[in-house]
Amino acid sequence: MLAAEYALGLLGADEARQFEQRLTGDPLLRAEYALWVEDLARMAGSVPAEPVPPAAFRAIEARLFPEERRSILARLGLWQSLAGAAAAGLLVLAVTELGWLATPPEPSLTVQIAAQIAAQDRSLILLARFDPASGALLVERQAGGMAAGRVQELWLIAEGAAPVSLGLVAAAGTTTLTLRADLAAMLGGAVLGGAVLAISDEPPGGSPTGQPTGAVLATGPVRQRM
Amino acid sequence: MTPVAQIETLIARVARGDRGAFATLHDATGAQLFGVTMHILGNEAEAGEALQEVFVTVWHEAGQHRVNGLSPMAWLITLTRNQAVDRLRARRAGAADIDGAVDLADLTPGPGAQVATRPDAARMAACLATLDPDRADAVRCAYLEGESYAELASRFGLPLNTVRIWLRQGLLTLKDCLTS
Repeated sequence: MLAAEYALGLLGADEARQFEQRLTGDPLLRAEYALWVEDLARMAGSVPAEPVPPAAFRAIEARLFPEERRSILARLGLWQSLAGAAAAGLLVLAVTELGWLATPPEPSLTVQIAAQIAAQDRSLILLARFDPASGALLVERQAGGMAAGRVQELWLIAEGAAPVSLGLVAAAGTTTLTLRADLAAMLGGAVLGGAVLAISDEPPGGSPTGQPTGAVLATGPVRQRM
Repeated sequence: MTPVAQIETLIARVARGDRGAFATLHDATGAQLFGVTMHILGNEAEAGEALQEVFVTVWHEAGQHRVNGLSPMAWLITLTRNQAVDRLRARRAGAADIDGAVDLADLTPGPGAQVATRPDAARMAACLATLDPDRADAVRCAYLEGESYAELASRFGLPLNTVRIWLRQGLLTLKDCLTS
């Protein structure tokens, strides 16, 4: 029963150390211990879930990736001060049940690509959703407008890459952007890790240079939703 | 893909440095794991710190859970439960000397273990029900409240020198049921 007691944290320090030493040399004991861990972990299924505080994941990212904000600016290659703008809110969806803890099998869930593109003071918020079937990116303006005589352009910035224009967004409502095949493939593809969508302020007709020329008004990391 | 397979896929992607998968994993499992830390620690501040430690560990060690012989959810739950119990015991010890306390957070079987699977998710609950209620509660209290033998003895009114034999009998019954 030592394996069970060890898994329950009931062994004193000396006994625990002795058990750990036996573990390293005994595959059968390791297998027995792993089975106890698996079974005991089932008891966690009786503990009710609690919504995670909204800032928790940002705190985790800030701890793991402290250079992130600077690297977004570096990737955008813009020298303007972004004191009033930039940095993101995150769009999250909760998965309500985990089949491992409930008894009946769960139906499969589909993956969607989405991003909430927001100014830091949330004066400008757009929600982007990618539909892989049509290759279209739907961008819905949820807050904020456009400066008179200027337009807003949407950029996809993949990790380590220069910004790529996805098109202009309308002053109100939802803009449907049909993406080039290679961009649709990038968004619909497997690993996005670190990709960001950004809105920049541009002259009418969009950037004349193919790269952002005006201020970055809002950014948002691209997320996979299940 | 079942949710279990999705978790496995996400962890595999996290192991390759996929931050989008890391965020999705947090979205998919955070509430269940935060529930565990809240249950054990009882307040949002400590529970949040514990959860943060768990996900930092997940980021750095996502590639290792198979080596440790644990299924993905069992790995996440075990990390979470151990992290929370460590903090609970540190809090209980307070300023007192806690020399001799076992740090649970690293308790994993080590390389080479077979991945453990139990097809029947309800088996543990059914087998716990075959124990007498006090022993079943004791197993739960040890796991979900991080109680020591001394605390279990106090809770169930048992002499300190017999509580261990008493619980081991229960664990034996449990094991017989689980492996039958």
